[in-house]
Amino acid sequence: MSQLSESIRGLGASGPLRRMPRANVERIATVVVLGWAMGFMLWQGAGFTITLTTIFAIWAILAVSLNLVVGFTGLLSVGHIGFFGIGAYTMAILASDASYDQLRTESIPTPDWPFFAALPICIALAGLVALGVGIVFNRFRDDIFVLVSFGFAIIAFSFFLNLRELTRGAFGIHEIPRPAFGSWALDGEVEFLVFALICLALVVLICWLIVTSSFGRVLTAIREDEEAIAVFGYRVTHFKLAVWVLSAMMAGLAGALLASWTSFIDPNSFILLESMLLIAIVILGGLATIWGSLLGAMAFVLLEEGMRFLPFLPPEFVGQARQVVLGVLLVVLMLFRPQGLVGRYRL
Amino acid sequence: MTESSAAVIHTIDLSKHFGAVRAVDELTVAIPKTGITSIVGPNGSGKSTLVNLLSGTLPLDGGIVIIDGVGLRLVKAHESPQHGITRTFQEVRLFEQISAWDNIMVVLTERRLIPSLFERVKPAHRETAERVLREVGMWEKRDAMAGELSYGQRKLLEIGRAMAMNAQTYLFDEPFAGLFPQMLERVKEIVVRMRDQGHTLIFISHNMDIVRELPDHLIVLDSGKLLTEGEVHDVLSRAEVIEAYLGE
Amino acid sequence: MSAWSGRLDLSQFAERPRDLLALLLALAVAGYIAWAISQSPQQALQFTFNGLSVGAIYALLAIGFTLVYSTVWFFDLYYGAAAAIGAYGIFYLRSGEALGGLYEVNDPAVNVVFALVTAGVAFWALREFYGRRLRERFGSGSALGVEALVAGGLGAYMGVVLAWPNDLNVLFAPAIGLAAAVVFPWILGRAAARIAPRANQSGVSFVTAITGAAIGVVCSVALAQAGGSKLYLSWVVSCLLAGMVGLAFYRGLYVQIIRRTHSRLIMLVASLGVLLALTALTIIVFESAPRPLPDVFGSTPWQVGGATIKGFNVFAIGVSIAAFVGLLLLLKKTAFGKSVRAIGDDEEVAKVVGINTTLVIAIVVFIGAVFAALAGVLNGHDTAIQPRMGLIMLLKGWIASVVGGIGNLYGAIVGGFALGLIEQFGIWNLAGEWKDVVSFVVLILFLSFWPNGLLPRR
Repeated sequence: MSQLSESIRGLGASGPLRRMPRANVERIATVVVLGWAMGFMLWQGAGFTITLTTIFAIWAILAVSLNLVVGFTGLLSVGHIGFFGIGAYTMAILASDASYDQLRTESIPTPDWPFFAALPICIALAGLVALGVGIVFNRFRDDIFVLVSFGFAIIAFSFFLNLRELTRGAFGIHEIPRPAFGSWALDGEVEFLVFALICLALVVLICWLIVTSSFGRVLTAIREDEEAIAVFGYRVTHFKLAVWVLSAMMAGLAGALLASWTSFIDPNSFILLESMLLIAIVILGGLATIWGSLLGAMAFVLLEEGMRFLPFLPPEFVGQARQVVLGVLLVVLMLFRPQGLVGRYRL
Repeated sequence: MTESSAAVIHTIDLSKHFGAVRAVDELTVAIPKTGITSIVGPNGSGKSTLVNLLSGTLPLDGGIVIIDGVGLRLVKAHESPQHGITRTFQEVRLFEQISAWDNIMVVLTERRLIPSLFERVKPAHRETAERVLREVGMWEKRDAMAGELSYGQRKLLEIGRAMAMNAQTYLFDEPFAGLFPQMLERVKEIVVRMRDQGHTLIFISHNMDIVRELPDHLIVLDSGKLLTEGEVHDVLSRAEVIEAYLGE
Repeated sequence: MSAWSGRLDLSQFAERPRDLLALLLALAVAGYIAWAISQSPQQALQFTFNGLSVGAIYALLAIGFTLVYSTVWFFDLYYGAAAAIGAYGIFYLRSGEALGGLYEVNDPAVNVVFALVTAGVAFWALREFYGRRLRERFGSGSALGVEALVAGGLGAYMGVVLAWPNDLNVLFAPAIGLAAAVVFPWILGRAAARIAPRANQSGVSFVTAITGAAIGVVCSVALAQAGGSKLYLSWVVSCLLAGMVGLAFYRGLYVQIIRRTHSRLIMLVASLGVLLALTALTIIVFESAPRPLPDVFGSTPWQVGGATIKGFNVFAIGVSIAAFVGLLLLLKKTAFGKSVRAIGDDEEVAKVVGINTTLVIAIVVFIGAVFAALAGVLNGHDTAIQPRMGLIMLLKGWIASVVGGIGNLYGAIVGGFALGLIEQFGIWNLAGEWKDVVSFVVLILFLSFWPNGLLPRR
């Protein structure tokens, strides 16, 4: 190309995009987070490692699935926690054991289904709700989409908290069983961890298949310019809706896993703040890469657990301190590396 | 009937207004199927709006568009390829944060939702993308992000993206604007080659040298209305055109 | 022609059903409200009072939000944190005595942080707006010294004020006196220039300066003597702090991001980071339990037509209307207002025509944060305060500004009060905890049917 035309680069509508320095930051981030994880696990031993990895698996499913929507489709959704909650509550209500003591005022029917019978319902319900919500949300973009997705998170939380006939409100639901294959229940922590990791692997595989398919390429084009891609014959609304529903279904799976793992859930796990932390993880790890979301989720889990060992930090402030660090990291990233640690896309 | 069969695109009383401004005002015009048609007119005469209406990027406020004998009151953007229409944008709208290669590939792949989920890169797509990228001279830059290319390269890539659609009718919104002579020649070559392959080309241009040289047919707009149309030399010699627009 | 006539379908009416639906919806809401009033006029009146009370707070937030949004064109989530800073500022300064010494929270680290923020903002402002004059007079080295000295002094003063909240009236009186001594002569001068334009300039300024100084001294002495003024002074201090923190974030962070990118979403995410961090810090300093604020005007409600309303709520409604009118006058009647609109239309052009965009935007950002803080203060006195109040208030203000029509000041106040009323009437037969759902449903309906809001920006 002629040098002259090079010199007027950036006459285009969006201006020049700075070349993203990729390899170094990515490699360093990967090495640091993985090394940190290894060191931490070796130091703390097996029991701790198992817990940590299980939490990681659940957050990673959430982060990877949210990245489909945020990183690949460009819809900055803060409402993902709602689908997570729907999955968790569906599992809790369907699978909880009816025999535990319930307050008479807050008692709910508990069908006592096995895990694997309830799981498809959890995923399907999350998808179904996402379909309805998506049809309404499809017309919104950019900051207005952020606002309405805040709205979805808050509405979902309100339902968990206030629909007492179904969710027992603030009392939460107990006695949610672990997955069982016939008579072999995954009661052990290791067994459950393996199960969670299998789920994570499945989600990662599905996401990888999605983003490397023609569908995934269309998503990135929608992210860049909805109107332009429509001219080439794609029904943008359908593609957006499809990825939104798929992503919500994965969040529903993560919710079911959480409910089963902790055996108790209450609305506090699904507050708006958690959703904001989730979006922070996705952006921190990197937009439009699956690996980035895995890395982000790992860093997030390590951050919280790591802070428990800071001598000067009172234990009740661990969560807050993590939130401060995440907030500051988010600010720093937006300043210097808006695509996140290993990202392929900047908002 | 005879008129509409000779014309690939025919509009009847086409209207579009933004608030009180009538960008396109009851425009009735026929664009012939063969050769190159150029739309000219002063700034704000409704050229880009016309292209946006024909490609479905903007909804019509009134009138009918007849494309290949099919009359439409509502041109939907995602259906425009079915009518054999594809386009480029005045402000060069590429998919900035994906590679030049993917910018071409994305218009080649499956349109239906479910099959597209299961479609991987096909050799046929790859061949077309390579051919198009070579034709517009962007093969070496295929791995660069579209947003990192120079303005001229972006223009070429956008034209390449339209070419990959292999449509009957191409709407080019100012394909020559802001290009250096070397690039301009290249775009001209591409346009001529496409005409020779039997495609219908419609472009907007302000460059009078090109308007004299390239098109077979000329449409002159002024304030959203048709000022005149016809053979290039006829039109350019008419006094009203000279007065209203050319000022020569 | 016959070939295509079969394709003339009903799709051209695709836009129509939405209008019809919107009309039906509006009628349904009106019908519902009429039904509610006919059911129990007294309860309807009560709900109207409640709606106006919260609406005043939403309106205040929405006004600040819309002002800032229509100037710098991004949603700054910091304003949620500003509301929390405003409310917790009162708690920080007044909890010691007004709440019976139950919560002593004075923390040197907090005082130092705010002292530094004050010093930093003061230093930046001096350098930006007086830097050249100072350099011309003292040379660049000494000018820097003067700036640092003045800024440091202001910061230290703020630290001292925060460190001894029990003597707030004595400590803060000089600042108020000084402000009065600056503002009154300016107003008098303006008035004099209008009444007697030919008067001797130096004579007028001498007289106004003397009067101003006298008023300043009287003000500060009166304040220092009046122990009851501490609460109101704490309002001033915490709004000032929230404004300065907002300005600090704008200059220190957002401007840096704007220089690198123009993406509104990147700004939004950065401000989300700010909100996350500040909310967590608030919890670390004040713990997450809800806290009370001292009562203002007593807590006995007034009886009006069988319904009750607290005096404080009437006051809050008055404050938000006064703030609206004040801002409206500022924007419509002054050169400053013209500059704000010019910047909103196109910042680059505004800069070219000689508007000091830095100064104007700084003032706008400051006003926005002060309004948010004021809303936080009013809300805090009305109910209790908790660290996460910022986020929900932010969202309500955001909704109100969108419902009213983003970028339109009239829309913001209408939207605020409308949202308050709709929320109250929406939970007529439901429990109060559903009101967040009501507001977001309203938002989504509005965005679907009237995306430009009640009063679109022209």
